[in-house]
Amino acid sequence: MEEGHHAMSNRLNRRSLIKGAAGTAVGAAALGVSKRSKAFAAPTVIQETGSQVKVVFWSAFGGKNGEVEQELIRRFNESQQDVVVEYQFQGTYEETAQKVIAALQARQAPDLAVLSEANWFRFYANNYLAAMDELIAAEELDTADYVESFLTEGQRQDQQWWMSFARSTPLFYYNKQMWAEAGLPDRGPETYTEFAEWGPKLVKKNGNDVSQWGFLHAPATDYISWYHQGTVWAFDGAYSDEEFNVRLAEPNSVKSGEWLRSTVDAGWATASQDRTTDFINGISASMMQSTGQLANLKANAPFEFGAAFLPSEVNPGCPTGGAGMGILSTSPAEKQQAAFKYIAFATSPEITTFWSQNTGYMPVRKSASESPEMQTFYETNPNFRTAVEQLATTKPQDPARRFVPAGDSIIGKGLEELTVNRAEVQPTFEKIKGTLEEEAKPILEQVEAIEG
Amino acid sequence: MVSTTGEGAVPSYGGRTGEQSSSRRTRTEARREGILFVLFMLPNAVLFGLFTYWPMIENVRLSTQRWDMISPIRLGIGLENYRYLLRDGTFHRVLLNTGYFTVAAVGFSLLLGLVVALLLNQPLRFRDGARAVVFAPTLLSGAAIGIVWSYIFDPRYGLLAQVLGWVGIGSPDWLNRPEWSMPAIIIVYVWKNLGFAAVIFLAGLQAIPRDLYDAAKVDGANPWWRFRSVTLPMLSPITFFLLVTSILNTFQAFDIIRVMTQGGPADATNTLIYYVYEQGFVALNAGRSAAASLVLFVLMMIVTLVQLRFTEDRVHYG
Repeated sequence: MEEGHHAMSNRLNRRSLIKGAAGTAVGAAALGVSKRSKAFAAPTVIQETGSQVKVVFWSAFGGKNGEVEQELIRRFNESQQDVVVEYQFQGTYEETAQKVIAALQARQAPDLAVLSEANWFRFYANNYLAAMDELIAAEELDTADYVESFLTEGQRQDQQWWMSFARSTPLFYYNKQMWAEAGLPDRGPETYTEFAEWGPKLVKKNGNDVSQWGFLHAPATDYISWYHQGTVWAFDGAYSDEEFNVRLAEPNSVKSGEWLRSTVDAGWATASQDRTTDFINGISASMMQSTGQLANLKANAPFEFGAAFLPSEVNPGCPTGGAGMGILSTSPAEKQQAAFKYIAFATSPEITTFWSQNTGYMPVRKSASESPEMQTFYETNPNFRTAVEQLATTKPQDPARRFVPAGDSIIGKGLEELTVNRAEVQPTFEKIKGTLEEEAKPILEQVEAIEG
Repeated sequence: MVSTTGEGAVPSYGGRTGEQSSSRRTRTEARREGILFVLFMLPNAVLFGLFTYWPMIENVRLSTQRWDMISPIRLGIGLENYRYLLRDGTFHRVLLNTGYFTVAAVGFSLLLGLVVALLLNQPLRFRDGARAVVFAPTLLSGAAIGIVWSYIFDPRYGLLAQVLGWVGIGSPDWLNRPEWSMPAIIIVYVWKNLGFAAVIFLAGLQAIPRDLYDAAKVDGANPWWRFRSVTLPMLSPITFFLLVTSILNTFQAFDIIRVMTQGGPADATNTLIYYVYEQGFVALNAGRSAAASLVLFVLMMIVTLVQLRFTEDRVHYG
C-alpha cells in the first residue's frame, strides 16, 4: 500500500533509537573496567615501519571555520610523510561529543577529536582520554610558550589530557551605524547598568512590531549559559564554586537574573533562535557571540561592527570557552603518537597565527600573538585584538556548567524561562540549583573514584 | 503501527481423506510440516528478535538503571527513572505538548486531506498534475523541509510574512515565541502529511460505488446530504485507518522539530519523542530516556489496541 514507505520510515526512526540505546548499553557492560592504565592496553605497533599512520580526526567546525581547518589538515598532510590525518566533520561541539560517545560503545571511536571545554571532562572522567605528557616530551613541545590558563585547563592530576586549540571568549558585538543613530559613543557599554540605559534608545518600532531590537539573547541551544556566566560573575555571583556547591540562588546571582529579565520586561531585548543571522540582517543592534564568529561576521555583515569586552558591573566577568583536542585512549599507541603530531602542528606558532587570523579564535601560543605578523594584523583589524586583550579578565567557567553532564542545557533552559517566558527569577534559579545538585552527584562519584 | 504479518498458523491442507493413513505417517508428515514451518519462520523470527524484541527488552532493563552512556558502570536504581518522570515539570509539559501537537496535527491533516481529496475527485483540468503536487511534500525529507520553512517563517523576510502583509496582517515571530512555535511546527507537519491523507482519501472516494449516489439522487438527496449519508459513512474505514496511522506517525515526528526549534523556545515544542532524544543524547541520561521511550511505547500500544478493537466491531467496511 502507498503508506508503506511513509509509515516504515517513521517506525525505523523509533526503532533505531531504541536499538541504538540498547546496543550501546551492552557495549559498556562488556567493557566493565575502570583502571586507567589497564583498561585499554593498546597494542604498540600496528603498522609496518616506513608506512604511513592514518589518524581519524572528528571535528566540529562548520562554515568558514571548517574550511580553514581543512586547510590546516591539507598543510599538515603535505608537510610530512609519516602521518595522514583523515578529517571528518561531525556537527556542533555537542553533536561531536554525542557521536564520540556512541562510537566508543560501538568500538569505532576516532583517534583524535575536537572536544569543547565543557565536554572533554566527561571523557576524562571515564578514562577515555590518553595522557599527553609523554607525547609532549617526545615532540619536544615548548609548553612554556602556551598561554598558561589555556594549557592548565586541560590538566588533571599533573597530567595533560586535553590541548586547547580553538579558544574563545564571548564578545559584545554592536552595529556601529545603529550606535551612531542612537547617539551612543563608539564603544561597548561599560556596565550592565549603562547597557540598560542605552538599550531603549536602540529600539525601533513599526506600530507594535519591533523592527530593530537593542539586543538579542542567545537560546538555550546556543549556549546562553556560557554568555550569562560572564553576567553572573559581573554581579559578583556564580553558578557554583570549585567544589560544585551551586551558588545560583544566592542574592548576587539572582541579581544577574533580574538584569537579564529586565531587558525583556523593558522591551529592548528579546530571545532569538538565530541572533547571528538577525544581527547580520540589521534586526538587532547588538549581541553577545563567540570570538570564533569574528571572521564569519567580518565576511558577512554588510555594515561596520565593533567588538567590545562584555560589560562589567561589580566586577568584570568573562568566561573562556571554545574547544581543544583530545586523543582517545582506545587508539593504539602508534596512532596516539601520530595524532599528537597533528596537535603539535595545529598549535605551532605559525599555524596558530593562520588559524587565529582566519577564524577569530584566540592564539594559544604566546609567540603567535606577540609575532610581528599578528601585531600588524591587529593594527588593521582591531576587533581581533579585543579578545586577546580581554583574556586578562577571563577565567574558566564554573564547574557546574563545565563538568555536570547537561549542565549547559540545565542552566540554559532555566535562563530561557527568564528571556522567553519572563518567569520569576528566584524560584527559577532555585529550581536550576536543585536540578544541578541532583545531576552533579554521579559525576562527583566518578571523579572521586578516579582521582581519590 | 504494529505489524500483523501472518501469524504462523500451520497450514492445513484439506485434501487428506484419512483412508489407510496410519497414525505414524501423519506424525511424520506433521513433523515435516513443523520443520518446514520453523524453517520459514526462522529468518523472520531471528531478525525480529535481534532487532526489535531484544532491544525492547534491553530498553526495559535500561529504564531501571542510571547510566550516562559512556561510563563502564551502570547503576541499578529500580523505578527511580519513572519517579523522576512523574515529578519532572519538563516531562509534564512534554506530555501536554505531545497532546496538543497530536490532536492539532492529526485533526488538520485529516480534515484538509479530505477537502483536498474531494477537490481532486472532481473532473478538473490539470487534476493529475495537482495530485502529484499535493502528494510531493510527503516524499520530501523532513530535515530539508524544516530548513526551507525556517526561512518561510522569518517574520521580516519570509514568504509567509509577505503573504500575510498582502492582507494587512503582521507576521508573528513564529519560531522565537513560545505561543507561536508550536502552531508553526503544526503547519509544517500538516503541509507535509496532508498529501498522504488526501491520496488515501481519494482512493477511498473512488472505491465508493456510483450507484449509491445515483440511488441517493433518485431519493432527492442534495449534494450535502449525499456527502453526509453516502460519502462519509463509506469513508469510515479509511478515515479510521488514517486516524490511527497519523496518530502513530505524529507521536514519532522528530525531524522537523529537531531542525526548526530543537524543542524550544523554552520547551514550547518539546514533544515526547524529542524528550527521549534530549534525555538520551543531550543530557546523556540513558535510563530516563529509556523510561520515557517506554511511556511512548505504551501510548502507541494503546492506540494500536484501540484500533484493533474498533476495526473488529464498529467500522463499516464497504
